[in-house]
Amino acid sequence: MVDNKTLQNKAREVISRDDVRRLIGWKRGTFGFEAAPAVIKDPSGADDLIFDATCVNNLASFITLEEKPPVPRGEEPDTRKTAIMVKGCDSRAIVLQLVEKAYERDDVIVLGIPCSGVIDRRKAREMFGDVAGAVEATCEGDKLVCEVGGEKKEVDRKELVMDKCLRCRYPNPVISDELLGDEVEKFADDDFSDVAEFAKKSPADKWAFWDEQFSKCVRCYSCRSVCPMCYCVECVVTNLRPQWTRRSTDISENTAYHLQRAWHLSGRCIECNECERVCPVDIPIMTLNRRMTRDVKELFDYEPGVDVETEPLLASFNPQDPEEFIM
Amino acid sequence: MSEEFEPNIVAFLCNWCSYAGADLAGTSRMHYLPNVKIIRVMCSGRVNPLFLVNALQQGADGVLISGCHPGDCHYLEGNFFARRRFTLMRNLMEHVGVDPGRVNMSWVSASEGAKFQDVVAEVVEKAKEAGPMDQFRRRQLNW
Repeated sequence: MVDNKTLQNKAREVISRDDVRRLIGWKRGTFGFEAAPAVIKDPSGADDLIFDATCVNNLASFITLEEKPPVPRGEEPDTRKTAIMVKGCDSRAIVLQLVEKAYERDDVIVLGIPCSGVIDRRKAREMFGDVAGAVEATCEGDKLVCEVGGEKKEVDRKELVMDKCLRCRYPNPVISDELLGDEVEKFADDDFSDVAEFAKKSPADKWAFWDEQFSKCVRCYSCRSVCPMCYCVECVVTNLRPQWTRRSTDISENTAYHLQRAWHLSGRCIECNECERVCPVDIPIMTLNRRMTRDVKELFDYEPGVDVETEPLLASFNPQDPEEFIM
Repeated sequence: MSEEFEPNIVAFLCNWCSYAGADLAGTSRMHYLPNVKIIRVMCSGRVNPLFLVNALQQGADGVLISGCHPGDCHYLEGNFFARRRFTLMRNLMEHVGVDPGRVNMSWVSASEGAKFQDVVAEVVEKAKEAGPMDQFRRRQLNW
């Protein structure tokens, strides 16, 4: 894992360049187990930047989030670059955004950081309860050393990191202009055992499960807003004309929303788990996305966000695609 | 109710093959089940999987998407895209517990009136097995 001094020096060097407008990184949060995203625009801000196991946010969504007001007459648009710090999973979002031509490769400077797992705040809360101050957490081999309220606690890494980290195949960024820190080894291969486990349920049980989960949804659209791949300017669920999903939060519209969201992410989800992390009512959204990821891999042998040269899954086809269910 | 359940089927038929196939079934006086409500689209690739969700919300018990045989698409490749989409959408529906028999797809060419008849019979049969779609139907239709 990169130490903060190296990271800050590199950030200072990058933001000082004339062709860089902003740098997106992490800084210490105000409380709990999550670092805060930080956008710095001049070298003085670089001292705040950090990277450790609390840096859960996928910053790739911030690149496309920026509002671009019309440029006043006579002025030139600002074409300077955006520098961004990415973990392994975040870098896949960058690759996929490049595949979909959300921006050009020259518009971003990717500072890759090999990552050895980030903390799941739900697991951390169970372990430590509510924490008043910001927590520092560093990875030392198989242990996570957390500094909670001035006290150092050593925890087994497997117990505290997010589930996605336990099956992470890409801890090292797949795309980067500069790699900060040494590469780490991948943890495990993804066997999709959780998907297979869920698929064993009967249709009635499945629906009973999702009925309960979707009924909780308050349609805050956090999962959509935080998703690095949901960057459409106009979204089908908020459009009023035509209005495909109505705005009431009943089971019918909630199900329609979640089916749409999951389907729009089929072959595009890079499994950063952000949707599930931000959900205020703890809907296991990734259970939907994981099924899609598995099917895409099994049926079409496609893995999103690994290679910049590939075509998007649903914008391409193979004449020999499987069609067992077609009459 | 003592009456047998008659499902509503919404069929999205492509203009060039399946719609013409259904037309042929009609003009050749073949009887196909009246449960099916046909919507003509220009190509099966035009059908957004959202239509399918929306149809199920609004009272359909099953959906049929039908297009030209692979390689015969009027727009050369529209049905290939549709095939990928609905393979995934069907799996997603199955994952949330919707009976996979409600989502059907078929290739029916303009000369296959008899095949259209069979397809409709099969789709209706599957929807009957699955029963009325009450999982996420809209409760207030004219809201």
